Amino acid sequence: MKAYSREVSVALTLGGLLLGLAIFAPSFYQAQPLLSLAAREAPTLVAACGMALVILCRQIDISIGAQFSVCSVCAGLLAGAHWPIPLVLSASITIGASLGALNGSLVAGLGLPSIVVTLATMVTWREGLRWLRQGIWVDLPEGFQWFGLRQSAGQWTIIILALTVLVLLALFMKHLAAGRFIYAVGSDAEAARLAGIRPRRITFAVFVFAGALVGLAAMMNVAQSPQVDPNSGTGLELKTIAAVVVGGVAISGGRGNLWGVFAGLLLLACLGPALTHLHVQAYWEKAIQGSVILLAVVADGGHRRNQGSP
Amino acid sequence: MNRILTSFVFAGLAILAGCGKSADSSTGSGQAVLGPGAKKITIAFLPKSKGNAYFISCMKGADRAARELGVELIFDGPTDPDPARQNEIVENWITLGVDAIAAACENREGISTALRKARAKGIKVITYDADALPDVREFFVNQATPQGIGYALMDEAARLCQSEGEFAVIIGSLTAANQVEWRKYVEERRAAQYPKMIMVAVRPCDDLKDKAQSEATTLLSTYPNLKLFLSTTSLGVPSAAEAVKQAGKAGRVKVIGLGLPSENRRYVKEGVTDSVILWKTEDLGYLAVQAAFAAASGALKPGDKTFKAGRLGEFQIQGDNIMLGKPFIFNKDNIDQFDF
Amino acid sequence: MAGTGETKVLHEYRQAMTVLGKSLRLRHESILLLILAAEWLFFAAAGRNFTTLDNTFNILRHSVEIGLLALAMTAVVLTGGIDLSVGSLLGLCAVLFGTFWRDAHLPVWAAMLLTLGAGAAAGGFNGTLIAWLRLPPLIVTLGTFSLFRGLAEAMTRGVDTFTDFPASFLFLGQERWLGLPAQAPIFVCFAGAMWLLVHCTTFGRSLRAIGFSPEGARYAGIPVRSRVVAVYLLAGLTAAMAAIIYTARLGQAKADAGVGYELFAITGVVLGGVSIFGGVGSVHGTLLGVAAIAVLNNGLAHVRQPREVAGMLTGLLLLLALSGSEFLKRLATRRDRCQPSPAATEKA
Repeated sequence: MKAYSREVSVALTLGGLLLGLAIFAPSFYQAQPLLSLAAREAPTLVAACGMALVILCRQIDISIGAQFSVCSVCAGLLAGAHWPIPLVLSASITIGASLGALNGSLVAGLGLPSIVVTLATMVTWREGLRWLRQGIWVDLPEGFQWFGLRQSAGQWTIIILALTVLVLLALFMKHLAAGRFIYAVGSDAEAARLAGIRPRRITFAVFVFAGALVGLAAMMNVAQSPQVDPNSGTGLELKTIAAVVVGGVAISGGRGNLWGVFAGLLLLACLGPALTHLHVQAYWEKAIQGSVILLAVVADGGHRRNQGSP
Repeated sequence: MNRILTSFVFAGLAILAGCGKSADSSTGSGQAVLGPGAKKITIAFLPKSKGNAYFISCMKGADRAARELGVELIFDGPTDPDPARQNEIVENWITLGVDAIAAACENREGISTALRKARAKGIKVITYDADALPDVREFFVNQATPQGIGYALMDEAARLCQSEGEFAVIIGSLTAANQVEWRKYVEERRAAQYPKMIMVAVRPCDDLKDKAQSEATTLLSTYPNLKLFLSTTSLGVPSAAEAVKQAGKAGRVKVIGLGLPSENRRYVKEGVTDSVILWKTEDLGYLAVQAAFAAASGALKPGDKTFKAGRLGEFQIQGDNIMLGKPFIFNKDNIDQFDF
Repeated sequence: MAGTGETKVLHEYRQAMTVLGKSLRLRHESILLLILAAEWLFFAAAGRNFTTLDNTFNILRHSVEIGLLALAMTAVVLTGGIDLSVGSLLGLCAVLFGTFWRDAHLPVWAAMLLTLGAGAAAGGFNGTLIAWLRLPPLIVTLGTFSLFRGLAEAMTRGVDTFTDFPASFLFLGQERWLGLPAQAPIFVCFAGAMWLLVHCTTFGRSLRAIGFSPEGARYAGIPVRSRVVAVYLLAGLTAAMAAIIYTARLGQAKADAGVGYELFAITGVVLGGVSIFGGVGSVHGTLLGVAAIAVLNNGLAHVRQPREVAGMLTGLLLLLALSGSEFLKRLATRRDRCQPSPAATEKA
């Protein structure tokens, strides 16, 4: 349990928030809005899992928002061209993976710092998409929304899909060798290399995988409404990095797990609606969000010092 | 060695800059048109921001006007929300030497700084959609005053709710100047005419469709007696409509706002959105470019009472406002006639 | 006067840098200079009215705020840190300045001083969290990025705008003084002071040592904590200064001032050859990087290209510059046949 103490503290904070809402704003607990909220945040969870892997590997990817937008628009255009849904899904994932591969090859192949590479790719893709689409929404054909299912079935499908990804990845990171390699590379790449792991391959693979997850997330988001907004990925990198960090993953890599990321994401996702239900004015939202991130980081620092780790 | 290279290159650049100035001083910006065929007039068209379907449709009208008049049209705008961007674009146009600028002003006082300089250099300035300070432009192409828009929105909302009940407002961002103004007039009208209508919440959506939908969903659950969503941002209307639809409250919670017919057609036809209010955006762009051309060529002067704008005919001028007309209400009966 | 320990660490550092090829860093700046010259020549030929004095002043005036932020960011990045909150702090300081002047009815100079103080305090807040609590700079400044912007929005409720500043104040951002834009002398003085600080003082050299190895620097007797707090404080102060100039240039102060400026600043810094890992970089490199981006943006407007193209090309330029620099470094290392020091190994 001690190993998970950081994640437990996030879960406790989340519990505190939910309890507070139950007392002061019971209107928060209604089935249909909560289902909608969960379905809305499911794509962010999938993207956050990808970001967590990248950060665990001691890299960072601030271009996932632009990747998300590109994949969303491509999925929308392909759907509009009457491609069948499974093909659109594969295309979205493939496009995401290719964008991730570009990042990965520059970071792993050339050894460039990931923050700068992903900054450059973020700007390029974002502006390129804007130039091509000029912000015009993509109309989706009938029958595409909710993958052609009824609304509640579609929402549950998306939520279960996201949770499946989370659980599979968490198990993968803990029990499979490849997952442990990611932790090893994130903790100390040189030591990992000397132990026979290939840090560059792992890094490249992590970026590709994160890109693929973003493609999946984009598809999950596109299926929820009849139009695609090319700006839909804006702010995704901030949201996912915040969720990952609040969830106890160290930004220097090598420490943390996906359950914490899940708890962190839930906390941040509930924060917005909670403020509305508590009748807090909208202009406080950013300040509160920033404070939560800072508190989480300070708590993280204090926790680490108590545990005696560097 | 490197320091010498550096200073050499800097010196070279400085000399080039100085030379350039003297070479180009004969073709200063904003020179008067010599006559038909002498030099093509250049008109610069500034939207509030790029990547916005509203301004894309204004641009289509502007393009048409430019083709009819045989002028060169430059279209550029900010791609991020920083207020200084519009100023930088205008200042670049001043050095580029355009003949007229048609601008939709994001920040009234901020952009007036740059437009004042343009005017001082002899460039004619027309504003459209959102005005600058009156002393920096020749005319303002007025599609509807902020007051007219705010009042129309509130009146329509009251009509749908029988003048009483709770309603929520979704705005694009907290800082967008025009949205602030519209909200002010909505509140003014509400307080004066419809005191039984209560505005329970105002939520921004950061100009993101998904966030607008989330906010609407949350508002629906926070305020169970909510009767109507009013949105001052064009992407708020379809998003609120989708939220209402997904919550199964279509018909019980009304949705109205400012919006493009194309983005809202689906929901208006389904009956989720009752009506969207806007104006003929293509005509707005067309009129703005026609006015800019007329100002640059001297056909339109301060004190004129009417203005003939190509195909669209005659328009009234009130003071220094060229009136496009009243806000137009798009509903089930007429939305199919428009494709923007 | 620096202690013996400090001199020894710095001496070893210098040796390591020579092994890596100190010339590599200079080579990066030479490339940047060539890029800048190439851009200038291209736009002079292809663009209309690009080489006028008016336009050169425009380029200068448009890039002063980002230039200031980039200079301050250079010092921060040299220590191996980063500050993502400078753009938001610019917005907060602009709003504070407006509040001090309009609501507290203070004279402009007093409002300016208070704003500078507030900026320094905010920067110090960042620095304290980073240095004393040993928190990662990326995340702390990510938190303050939201917090500062949020405070600006809360103070104005998003909607309030401060305008109608006195003409004597607006002179600072909009008029010419002795033929140059009024903010130019301020920028030149600041850039000069920054250059001296980073390149000619032991303070500056200790920043590189901290970036190169914080533990080593600490053992060598460099007061790491206070130096780190100092650079973030300086960054905050600079953001406040940039906010004042921005407000003077625009003639208004709003909560969304400076949105996205931190990314432009980082782009300029990295383009200028400052290593994001710390320890390597120069102020003149940053200035060249900022200049290259500013000229690119301005030049593209003069060849009638839309702003999206400028953004894309900036991203591509950054990638090319980094990749090119990395290739050269690899070539030089191979040529020297030296064992690369641990800092050269990729931190993948």
